Amino acid sequence: MVLAHRMAMISSMVTADAVEATEFPELSGKYRVSGVPHTVINEGAGNMVGAAPEDMLVEEIRKVLKQ
Amino acid sequence: MGSFLDENITSQIKVVFTKLTNPVEIVVFTSQKDCEYCEDTRALLEEVCNLSDKISIKSVDLDNKPDIAGEYHITRTPGIVVLGQVDGKMKDFGIRFSGIPAGHEFSALIQSILTVSSQEVEFNPDTIEFLNSLKSPIHLEVFTTPT
Repeated sequence: MVLAHRMAMISSMVTADAVEATEFPELSGKYRVSGVPHTVINEGAGNMVGAAPEDMLVEEIRKVLKQ
Repeated sequence: MGSFLDENITSQIKVVFTKLTNPVEIVVFTSQKDCEYCEDTRALLEEVCNLSDKISIKSVDLDNKPDIAGEYHITRTPGIVVLGQVDGKMKDFGIRFSGIPAGHEFSALIQSILTVSSQEVEFNPDTIEFLNSLKSPIHLEVFTTPT
């Protein structure tokens, strides 16, 4: 299962949307998605390119929360 | 037999779906305007739903039902929400798909159905503690491609 979806299962604060990049080119362009998977946190406040291991995605979310 | 899933895939999914416990509801948001994959997405999801009596589907027109779309924060189509039943009510865990769930997304969809049904997710304890400590909303959008 997509890591983000699993996180959404645990926390009611998390929503996770698996986006088909080629179907939404404007959105992919806005976030400069060039490789997949690419995870965007809170509308671009954070980004994670590539398949994110659990702890790295957590770290990235922590960074967003500190902004 | 539907038109999206061949016999082999259909029988595999049927086996996997025997593990379903709690009922699952899929809400699919479509639009008549400029949505190349809406009809295919709805048809594909209906085929998936037909493989288990634990899964139901609701199709919602985004333009005609902006109130329902707003409730789920759906702004693009096709948009999919996967709900699981908790204490007799359908619960929104925050699981979404945007675009047709084909290829990798298809297996992610099947997995999400299994997970909202079992409601069992494994993480290391630190991650669970972190997720449970969240005080503000986190919106994750994971961009993928079918291949």
